[in-house]
Amino acid sequence: MIPRRFRNWVIFWTIMVWIVLELLTYPKTVPITAGFSAVIKGFFSESVGQYPTWLPFALGVAVLAAGVIGFVRKTKARAFNGALIALAVVFFIWTFLGGGASAWADLDLARMFEFVGIAVLAAVIVAVDEIAYRRWRIKVLSSILRILGWGIGVAVVVWCAFQALAMFPPNTFAYNWLIQTVAVVLGGVCVWLWAAGNPERAELTTWNTHQVWKLYRGNWQGMVGLGILVVFLAMALLAPFLADHALLDPNAQIKDPATGELYGPYHPPTAYYYNWFGTDQVGQSVLTQFIWSARISLMVGLIAAFMSTVLGAGIGIAAGFYRGAASEGLMRLTDAFLVIPWLPLAMVLAAAWGQNYYMIILIIGITSWPGTARVVRSDVLRVRELSFIERAKAIGSKNGHIMSKHVLPNVMPLIFANLVLVVAIAILSETTLSFLGLGDPLNFSWGTMLHYAWVNGAAGLPAWWYLLPPGIAIILVVLAFTFIGTAYEEVLDPKLRKREDSTGESRFTARGEPQVAVAGGAGLGGGGAMFTPGQQTDDAMPDFNQPAGGSIGRPEGGGWVGGHIEDDEKGGD
Amino acid sequence: MDKRRYFIRKILNAVLTIVLVASFNFALFRILPGDPARLLLPKGKTDPSVIERQRKTFNLDKPLQVQFLYYWRDTIQGKFGMSFSEKRPVTEVVAERIWPTILLVGVGTVFATIIGMITGVFAGWRRNGTYDVVSTNLGMVLYAMPTFWFGLLMIMLFATKLRWFPTGRMEEPGVELSGFAAFQSLMKHLFLPAFTFAIAYVGEYHLIMRSSITGVMKEDFALTARAKGLSENSVLWRHVVPNAMLPTVTIVMMNLGFVMSGAILAEAVFNWPGLGLLSYDSMQKRDYPVMQLVFLIASVAVIVANLIADIMYYYLDPRVQA
Repeated sequence: MIPRRFRNWVIFWTIMVWIVLELLTYPKTVPITAGFSAVIKGFFSESVGQYPTWLPFALGVAVLAAGVIGFVRKTKARAFNGALIALAVVFFIWTFLGGGASAWADLDLARMFEFVGIAVLAAVIVAVDEIAYRRWRIKVLSSILRILGWGIGVAVVVWCAFQALAMFPPNTFAYNWLIQTVAVVLGGVCVWLWAAGNPERAELTTWNTHQVWKLYRGNWQGMVGLGILVVFLAMALLAPFLADHALLDPNAQIKDPATGELYGPYHPPTAYYYNWFGTDQVGQSVLTQFIWSARISLMVGLIAAFMSTVLGAGIGIAAGFYRGAASEGLMRLTDAFLVIPWLPLAMVLAAAWGQNYYMIILIIGITSWPGTARVVRSDVLRVRELSFIERAKAIGSKNGHIMSKHVLPNVMPLIFANLVLVVAIAILSETTLSFLGLGDPLNFSWGTMLHYAWVNGAAGLPAWWYLLPPGIAIILVVLAFTFIGTAYEEVLDPKLRKREDSTGESRFTARGEPQVAVAGGAGLGGGGAMFTPGQQTDDAMPDFNQPAGGSIGRPEGGGWVGGHIEDDEKGGD
Repeated sequence: MDKRRYFIRKILNAVLTIVLVASFNFALFRILPGDPARLLLPKGKTDPSVIERQRKTFNLDKPLQVQFLYYWRDTIQGKFGMSFSEKRPVTEVVAERIWPTILLVGVGTVFATIIGMITGVFAGWRRNGTYDVVSTNLGMVLYAMPTFWFGLLMIMLFATKLRWFPTGRMEEPGVELSGFAAFQSLMKHLFLPAFTFAIAYVGEYHLIMRSSITGVMKEDFALTARAKGLSENSVLWRHVVPNAMLPTVTIVMMNLGFVMSGAILAEAVFNWPGLGLLSYDSMQKRDYPVMQLVFLIASVAVIVANLIADIMYYYLDPRVQA
């Protein structure tokens, strides 16, 4: 069913889509919007989950547009475009139907189903795939199995959905859960269909991933960073299992289970689970705040960094590719943004535009892109002089085509490494803004916790249990992203790698390799895959360009020059 | 490059950037939601005639292009309006806050630069040794650490627990001191904020110095110096370090422009009466005229620091002159 070559990759991205959706849409405490009128009336004020209605709607429009454009342009992957449109429909339904959970107690069970459902689905896909491809390579049989496999997969999903629906009163959490699960599955299908439509690229990507991962896991700092990140990501995703969200309510003080008395403000930590990190100024559990903060901190950091990278990479590529006035003008703009001190600017904007985390994401996004733009531009200047760009120009490709099909894939690894580093900066920025009291007053983040600790004089008591956990968490997460970013950079740049290969590191390599490889195998490997398409042309990286003699074949003639001829003739007219 | 041409180009660049940033400042305070005339007045019910007068004084009744010209005239003449929380001209309010910030930032930067560079030199010299691995990872931890959090820890440890230093402010309220006693008190108050400020940059300077040393050590002249039979000490301090200082000094200079962000945090945590605390307070009071000027000062500081870095680079690195 899924060709083995990129199966891991498809599964990885399915899970990624799911994680992103989870971070975005949890908790699903939603007032049930009644019908279209309410949606249209409160299009910008109403919310589905914790995010405004227009967000899934905009997402749906974008996906729909991508699908329709694909059909209009008659790309080969028709099924892929169809799946995109289906995904868009799901987003629209989601926008209009957004149901909500009435009781937090219901959530844990429903989420169990979600986890189990996706796990079972993945297992079924893998199993059916194994059977179809390994044992019987007979066409008829494999196609029967293929249909059966999808049938079982869908059946499992539907079964889980009905189980959930039967358990809870109608129009509650289950609706969101069902729609989200369908979206995740469709997302996975999209990736698979994309891979099926572009087998060469998918194969190259997978192959490159493998190479990057082999180099990456030799870097002990990178592996430590990945380990820390996995722990915090797990904490963020499993927050509903780890701590009761109801305890975040301003009136929810925690009680000593032995005596039944309230702990009261600034109680030092005890053995009781919710009092592990003591209580805050009104007697609430610091542990609960700490766990739920991970979501906002990570989410804001990731989205802001993504936004800033898209902006910076776009401007950097344009500034590097064009010459003359356009380039000069863009660089001047970059310089002007580079000197704007971000914190005073952010304070002005946050003070004027109000306080919620979308604002913070926007502020960090628009103030942190110039660094990325400069780095990307300098790399584009190198790529611009390579011979295949000249060739593309010679056969008359348009500038936009060259930039997106030739330049972008070549600077993509650099952009990805930069993205990871910007995440670290974005998380620190979010913490700083929240600390100054500009954060979202309705959602806890580690910065918000420190803000309350500061203004309520925790340092003067001293209530160390209130100050230490958020600070240490920030350091660890920022450190993790920095480590991952630098490790990935070293993988990309052989010059850096050689320098690091001396005495110190090899010791750690031998030890760190076996145990962590399992945990992160699909994780960063898959990430590298997406961002390291086959166009690596750096002469200094021979192992990326030579066909591998090993088991994973690299398509003959599908290299970074040959593979583009077809594209160019299409785009060049 | 010709010296004069190089300087003129750099200065023109800086002036152009200042013009861009000042224009951005103009735009920023006009894209804010709400009537700019109301923004520049205190919150609450205001007499319509007052708003009208305000509109007149700030030329807000004119079209935008004309406003833009007036804005430039006022900026050049140094008219920035009245702070409505203090009822005094903004320039006056800001002027008295500049020196504490310069004191704090100056002391902090000097400490950070010296400590970061020295630890970085040794780390780069024995790359991948135990000291390097420990100090560099520690440097990364410092780099990842939020300044204000470290400041709170310092207050908790040294001010609350041990009572070695005061928790904040620049002097004891209500105590008049003179001579050496005043100096001693100032130093006591300065120590924690300056230390916190410095720690934020030590990690960064350490990492820069380390990689710079590693790069220079691979150059031919370092090899030659060794081949001549010079002692290790003399190779390091006479040949490698001076060359490795170049990029570090430039980055220190460029960072100097961005101290505002660090200053806001250190000053807010320690109640240090500088520009940073002023901008934090004015943000809470929505005192837009003050914010506008502080924002302009912070931007211009960055540009000037960049310009100084460029000029210094010209004198420090002969390769630019060639």
